Amino acid sequence: MEEYPEELRTPPVALVSLVGCPDLHATVTTHLHSQQPPLNALALPDFSKISMISRPPKDASLPPQPVAGILKKDWLLKHRTRVPAVVAALFSSDHVSGDPAQWLQVCTDLENLKGVLRGRNVKLVVVVVAPSNSKDYLSEDRMIALRKRAELDSKYVIIFVPSETELQQLGNTFSELANSFYKDEGRRIKARLEKKNFHSAELNIRCCFKAAVYAEFCRDWTEALRLYEDAYHAVREMVAASTRLPPIQRLIEIKCVAEQLHFKISTLLLHGGKLAGAIVWFRQHYASYRKLVGAPEVIFLHWEWLSRQFLVFAELLETSSVTSQHVSPSVPDATDRATEWEFHSAYYFQLAAHYLKEKNSSLELAQSLSETSGEVDGNAESVTAAAYIGQFAKLLEFGDTFVMQSLSDEEYARYALAEGKRFRDSHEIIALLKRCFEAYNKDKASRMAAFCGFQMAREYFTVDEYSHAKEVFENVASLYRQEGWVTLLWNVLGYLRDCSRKSAVVKDFIEYSLEMAALPVSTNVAGQRDCGPAGPASIAQREIIHNEVFSVIRGASESEPTEENSSLIVTADNPLYLEIDLVSPLRAVLLASVAFHEQVVKHGAETVISLSLLSQLPLNVEIDQLEIQFNQSECNFVIVNAQRSHLAAISCLQPGRRVETATTLELRTNKWLRLTYNVKPEQSGKLECIYVTARWGQHFTICCRAESPASMSDLPLWKFEDIMQTIPMKDPGLAFSGQKAVQVEEPDPQVDLKLDSSGPALVGESFIVPVIITSKGHSVHSGELKINLVDTRGGGLLSPREAESFSSDNLHVELVGVSGQESEDLSNSENIRKIQPSFGLISVPFLNEGESWSCKLEIRWNRPKPIMLYVSLGYFPQSTELSSQRAHVHKSLQIEGKTAVVMSHRFMLPFRREPLLLSKTKSVSDSDQIPCLPLNETSMLVVSAKNCTEVPLRLLSMSVEAVDASTCDVKSKSKDPEEPVLLVAGEEFKQVFAVTPEVNLPNLNMGIVCLRWRRDHGDGERLATCSTASAVVTKHSLPDVNVEQPPLIVSLDCPPHAILGNPFTYSIKITNRTQFLQEVKYSLADSQSFVLSGPHNDSTFILPKSEHILGYKLVPLASGFQQLPKITLTSVRYSAGFQPSVAASTMFVFPSEPHFGLKDSGEMRVEPVAAE
Amino acid sequence: MGREVSESCVESLVTEIVSSYCNGFYADKPELAARRIEAIGFQVGHQLSERYTMDRPRFTDHLEAIKFICKDFWSEVFKKQIDNLKTNHRGTFVLQDNRFRWLSRMSVDPSIETLGSIQDPSAMAENKAAQAIGMHLYFPCGIIRGALSNLGIPCAVSADISNLPACSFVIRIKA
Amino acid sequence: MIVCVAVVGHQNNPLYIQSFTEADDVLKLHHIVHCSLDVVDERVNNPKKSSPTLNETFLGLLYPTENYKVYGYLTNTKVKLILVTTDLDVRDADVRNFFRKFHAAYVDAVSNPFHVPGKKITSRTFAERVSTIVKSFGLSSAS
Repeated sequence: MEEYPEELRTPPVALVSLVGCPDLHATVTTHLHSQQPPLNALALPDFSKISMISRPPKDASLPPQPVAGILKKDWLLKHRTRVPAVVAALFSSDHVSGDPAQWLQVCTDLENLKGVLRGRNVKLVVVVVAPSNSKDYLSEDRMIALRKRAELDSKYVIIFVPSETELQQLGNTFSELANSFYKDEGRRIKARLEKKNFHSAELNIRCCFKAAVYAEFCRDWTEALRLYEDAYHAVREMVAASTRLPPIQRLIEIKCVAEQLHFKISTLLLHGGKLAGAIVWFRQHYASYRKLVGAPEVIFLHWEWLSRQFLVFAELLETSSVTSQHVSPSVPDATDRATEWEFHSAYYFQLAAHYLKEKNSSLELAQSLSETSGEVDGNAESVTAAAYIGQFAKLLEFGDTFVMQSLSDEEYARYALAEGKRFRDSHEIIALLKRCFEAYNKDKASRMAAFCGFQMAREYFTVDEYSHAKEVFENVASLYRQEGWVTLLWNVLGYLRDCSRKSAVVKDFIEYSLEMAALPVSTNVAGQRDCGPAGPASIAQREIIHNEVFSVIRGASESEPTEENSSLIVTADNPLYLEIDLVSPLRAVLLASVAFHEQVVKHGAETVISLSLLSQLPLNVEIDQLEIQFNQSECNFVIVNAQRSHLAAISCLQPGRRVETATTLELRTNKWLRLTYNVKPEQSGKLECIYVTARWGQHFTICCRAESPASMSDLPLWKFEDIMQTIPMKDPGLAFSGQKAVQVEEPDPQVDLKLDSSGPALVGESFIVPVIITSKGHSVHSGELKINLVDTRGGGLLSPREAESFSSDNLHVELVGVSGQESEDLSNSENIRKIQPSFGLISVPFLNEGESWSCKLEIRWNRPKPIMLYVSLGYFPQSTELSSQRAHVHKSLQIEGKTAVVMSHRFMLPFRREPLLLSKTKSVSDSDQIPCLPLNETSMLVVSAKNCTEVPLRLLSMSVEAVDASTCDVKSKSKDPEEPVLLVAGEEFKQVFAVTPEVNLPNLNMGIVCLRWRRDHGDGERLATCSTASAVVTKHSLPDVNVEQPPLIVSLDCPPHAILGNPFTYSIKITNRTQFLQEVKYSLADSQSFVLSGPHNDSTFILPKSEHILGYKLVPLASGFQQLPKITLTSVRYSAGFQPSVAASTMFVFPSEPHFGLKDSGEMRVEPVAAE
Repeated sequence: MGREVSESCVESLVTEIVSSYCNGFYADKPELAARRIEAIGFQVGHQLSERYTMDRPRFTDHLEAIKFICKDFWSEVFKKQIDNLKTNHRGTFVLQDNRFRWLSRMSVDPSIETLGSIQDPSAMAENKAAQAIGMHLYFPCGIIRGALSNLGIPCAVSADISNLPACSFVIRIKA
Repeated sequence: MIVCVAVVGHQNNPLYIQSFTEADDVLKLHHIVHCSLDVVDERVNNPKKSSPTLNETFLGLLYPTENYKVYGYLTNTKVKLILVTTDLDVRDADVRNFFRKFHAAYVDAVSNPFHVPGKKITSRTFAERVSTIVKSFGLSSAS
C-alpha cells in the first residue's frame, strides 16, 4: 500500500488558494487544516504568482486526439495541489480604502485574477483584511465598488478582522464554496456521462472516476462507491474490447486501473464498516482477474500484480480491523458467505506471499530464457512511466527536449524483465510469511501456521539461510509427526536433512536420514515435481536414504564418499552417539522391549530376560554389538554378532564384562529380533534394564531406552498403517504384562536363630528363653539382636489404666534381663544397648562360620497373659564391604503366661463342738457373709493350693503371715515338710492351721498365706544348685473374720466308732459361757439306726459359767456311717435354736469287732477334715 | 438397510465366542478371556456406531449421545429400546433393559436368583453360573464402550444383573 | 473438478487422501487438506449462534485458496471428510450430495471386520468407489 501515491491512499481534500496578504497565510492555513473536514490551502504570497493556478493553455485548434489512455496519472495530484476549488483574494483594508493608486492596484489584481479563473467554475472570494479596530472605517462606496468589480454576491466579499470567530466564519465560507465547486464539477461530468456521447470506453471510465472523486470531495461516499464500481466494471469490459495498445501493455494498463479502482472501492467499503462486503468484493475482484495472466513471457507481472492485490487488501484489513471487528458478516447468500480465515489479514498475506513466490519462479524462468537468447537491453534506463496510469514510454532525448515514445511489447517485456532483476523478493516473501505465521499462531491455527512456516523455511532454504530454515522446519515437523501427516513430514525432513548436509552437521543428518528411512511411506505417490530435496516419497527413496546413511555410518572405507557427503563422516575424531527415548521420533528406527520372565527373583539366583528389538528401516540392518545396561552395572553384558566379531568393536569393552555371542544380530523390517539371556542379579532390590545400546563399527552408537512390553505405546505414525503387528515376545502373557524391572529378594540369611522355650511361663517366675545363634554359612559382623514383646491380642503390655505409671508392678509381662552364655554377666558390659520392659537391643559378638552364641532372655509375667516374643537378628555377612546388604533373621514365639497355683481356704469349727454364734443364726444364708469365728476357741483354717499347670511343681513352704500376732494365734497344725513337696499337675496340697482369735473384733485381719514354690526340674534338679531366686512366692490374702463371743457351746461326746449291737454312751454337754442363767430347750429326734434311752424333749436351766450334761445310751442297729439321733437346742434368752452339723453327728458302725490295729490314727484324723 | 442377519446366528455366535475364549484359549485365565471378549465387542460397537450415526446431526453433549445409545442404537441391535435410563449428572449413567435379549434364553439355577445384585462381573468367581452370565455380558459392555468412545466419550462400562433377564449397564464417563 | 478428497481421523491424522489431478501438486493438496482442519476446528469450537447449520455434519465451504475451494464434513465420530475442488461455481446441493455418498462409502469401508478402527483405509474397493463418486460429481445436477 505504501507504494501508492498519497493522493490515492487518502480521501480527497478540498483545495483553497489564498492570494495576497502573505502575513495572514499561516494563520488561515492552520485553521483550515484543523477544520472538519479539513481544507488544504495553496498560499500565493502575491498576485504575480497567480499563474500557478492558471490552466495550461489548451490548443483548441488541434483536432481531438485519439484517447491515449484511461486515467491521467497526475489528475488526482493536480486536484490535490494545483486546482483550487476556491480562490480567496486577500486585500488589506488600507489598500481598499487607501489612495487611488492603491485602489487601482487592487482593481488590477482582481481583474488579473478573474482573467485566470475565466471559463472555469472556480469560486472566488474577496477578503478585505481589516485591523481589529478599523472595521467601521471602510468606506461603503469602496466596498460596493469592490463587489461590483469582483462580480460577486455581497456575502462573498468579506471583511475579515483576524480573530477566532472570524476565522471560523471564513473557513465555513470556504467549505461551502468548495463543496459547491466540487458538486458543480461532478454534475457537469455526470451530465456528460448521461449523454453517453463518448466514442471510447476510456473516456467513460475516466468520467466515472472523476465524478467519483468529486463525490468523494463532497463526502458523498455512496455516490462515490457507485461511480467507482461503474468505472471498475467498465474497465473489466475493456479487456476484450480494446485494441488501443499492444496486447501486453494494454492488459497492464487495464489491470493497473482496475487495481486503483478496486483500492478505492475497498477503502470506501471498509470505511463504511462493510467488512463482509469488502471481502466479497475482493473475492470477485480476484476471481475476475486471476485468469488474465497475459502473455507468457511477462507472466511474472501478473503474479506480481496478484500478490500486490492480496498484500494491499491485507494491509487495508489490518488497518481497519480495529473499527470493524464487531461487525458481523451478514451476507444473505450462504454460498457467498465469507469463511473464517477471509476475515484475517493473515490469509491475504499468505496468498500475497504465495503469488510473490510464483512471480519469483516465473521471473527466474523468463530471465533464464532471455539470457539464453543473448539479448542485451541497453535502453532499459530510458523507459519511464508515461502520462497515463499503467503506461510506460520510452524517453528519448533530443538535445534539450525529451520526447515520449510509446513502446512495443517486446521492448516493454525487456524493460519489465530488467526491472524485475533489481528486486530480491525472497526476503519480502519471508517477511510476509512470518507475519501470517505469527498471526495464525496467535489465533491457534497451528496447521495454517505450519503451512506458512513451511513456506517460509523453504524460502530461507533457497536463500541459503540454513539455521533459520532448520529452526522453522523443525517446528513444523513436530506438528506433522504428531498428527501423522507422513507425506508432509517426509518433505519437511527432506529439507531438514539437506540443511544439515549443507551445514555439515553429521548428527542431525544421520538422525533425519534415519527418521526418513523409517517413515511409513509405502505407496508411491506418482509424479511429484515439487517434492523438494527429499525426493519422491517412496520405498525406493527410503532405501536410497537408508543406504546412504549406513555408508556414512560405516565410514568411508566401505563406500566411495560422494561429493556432497564428503563432509559427513563418522570417525574416531567424530564419533556419533544417538539416544532414543520414549518420545523420540527415532523409536521406529530402533525399539527395544525388555521383559524379565519373573517378577521376583531370589538373591543370587539367575533369572531369564527376553530382549526384543524392532526396526522399521526398509532394509535389513546388521548390528555389530549390543550392550544391555542395567541399574546394577555388574549385570551389564554385551552381545556380539558372531559374523561381525572381526570388527574391532570389542575393543571398547570394559574388562571383565560378560560377553555373549549371538549367531546373528540382523534386524529385519517389522520383524522382532528376539534374544533371551540369563541374568544374575548381584544386589537385592530392584534390577531394571535401562538401556539397550547398539553399536555399528567403533564410532556409531544408538542408545535406546528399554521399554516394558506391558506399558509400551504404539509406534507413532506406524500405528495408523495397515500392517501386520506382532507382539514382542512369543509368550503372550509376557508380551502383555512383561516388565523391564525385576524385584530381587534380600540374600537368604545363613544363620540360625533358635528360640528355646519349655512350655508355658508361670506367673511370677522369671521365665528363661534361651536364644541360640548359630552361624552356618555366614560369619556375623556387627550383629544386633532386637527383642520385642507384643501382646498377642494387640494391646500393650500395660493395663490401660495403669499405663501412665511405668513401674514394673503394673506391667503384666516384662523383659527383666538378658544373661549371657557361660553365666557371664552381660548386664554391665557394653553389649547390652538397651533393655526396656517390652523391648531389648543386644549386640552380638563377631561369630565365625560354624560358631554359635547364645543368651538367655529373662521374662517375668505378672499376670497370666499370652505374648508374642519377636527376636530379629541383623548382621552383615562381610565385614569389609560397607555396601553389602544387611541380612536379617526373624523368629517369633508365642508364650502363654499361666497362673501356677490356685489357693483357697476354708474355716472349720472344732470337731463336735458347736458354739452358738448369734450372727450366724440370724442370717438366712451364710454364703455372702464374712466367716464368724468364736472368740478364744480354736478354729481350723484349711489352706489348699492346687497346681494348675501341666508341669510338676515343688512346694517349699506354706505359712500364714499374720498382720498382728497378738490379735490372733495361728499355728500350723502340720509341720513344714523337710523336703519340698512334689505337686504334680492338677494335684492339690492342703495345710491346716489352728486359729484362735484372742480379741473380740468384728473385722479381724487374718493375714496372708505365703506359698513358696518352684518348678520341678526332674532328676537333674537335685544336681543343679537351686538358686533362691528361682523360688517363687505366691501370696493369698485371707479374708477378714468376724470374732464373736459364743454364749453357749454344745459338745457331743461319743466313741470314735461303734460295733453293731454293742451299746455305747452318747453324752451332750451344754456349756454356758455367760454370766446369766440360761434356759435351754432341747429335743432329740429318733433315729432308725439306733435304739436310745434318755430324755427326748425337755427344757433345763444352766447356771452361769457352768455346764449341763445330757447322757444317752445307744445301741446301733445298722452298720456303716450312721446319723446319730439329732439334737436340737433352743436358747430361750436369744430365741435362737441350733443343731450340730451333720458331719459332727455321724459315726461309723462296724458290723463286728474289727481286727486291725488302730494305731495309725493320723490318717483317720485328717480324713474327716478332708472328707467334706 | 438391505442386509440383515439372523438373530439366532448372532446369539449363537456370541455364545460361541464366550465359550471358546473361556473354555478354549484362556481356560485358566478368565481375566484375559474377559479382556479379549470385551475388545471384540469394542470393535463391533465402534463400527456399528459409525453406521448408525450416519444421517444425524452431531451430538452436542454426552446426554444426547447416551440417549442415542438407548434409543436408536439399541433398537438397531436388539430391536427394542432401553427401558430405563438413570444418571447422577456427574458422568454416571445406568441403562436398564428389562428383558435383555442375549440373556432371555439363559436358564439359571433358581438359587442364583436369590443371590441378588452382583456388582462386578469379575467379582463372582465363586459362583460358576453367575460367572458364565458375567462372561456373556463383557461383549455387550464392549459394544457400548466402543460406540461411545467412537463418539468421543471415553468411558468404562460394567454390567449388573439383578434378576434375569433384566440387566443394567453402568456407564462411567472418564473425566 | 474435484482434485482431492480426504478422510481425516479424529486425531487429525490422515486415514485416506487421494488426489485426482494430472498435475503434480500432490504435496500442495496435502497441505491444503491439512490446513483446512484448522477451519474445521474453528467452526466446531466457535459455532456462530445464528448459523442454521449448527451441528450439521456438512460444514460447507471451509476456505478458498489460490485456485481451490475446500469443503468439509464432520461426522458424529469426529471423522472429517474433506473435498478440494477447482470449480468456481459449486452448487451447495452437489457438495452435500457428494459428501453423503462419500460418507456412506467410508462407513462401508470401516465396517469391514478386517479393518482395524483408527488405521488407514487401504481397501481397494473403497478407492474405486470413491473415484466413481468423484467422477459423478456435479453430473446429477445436470440431469
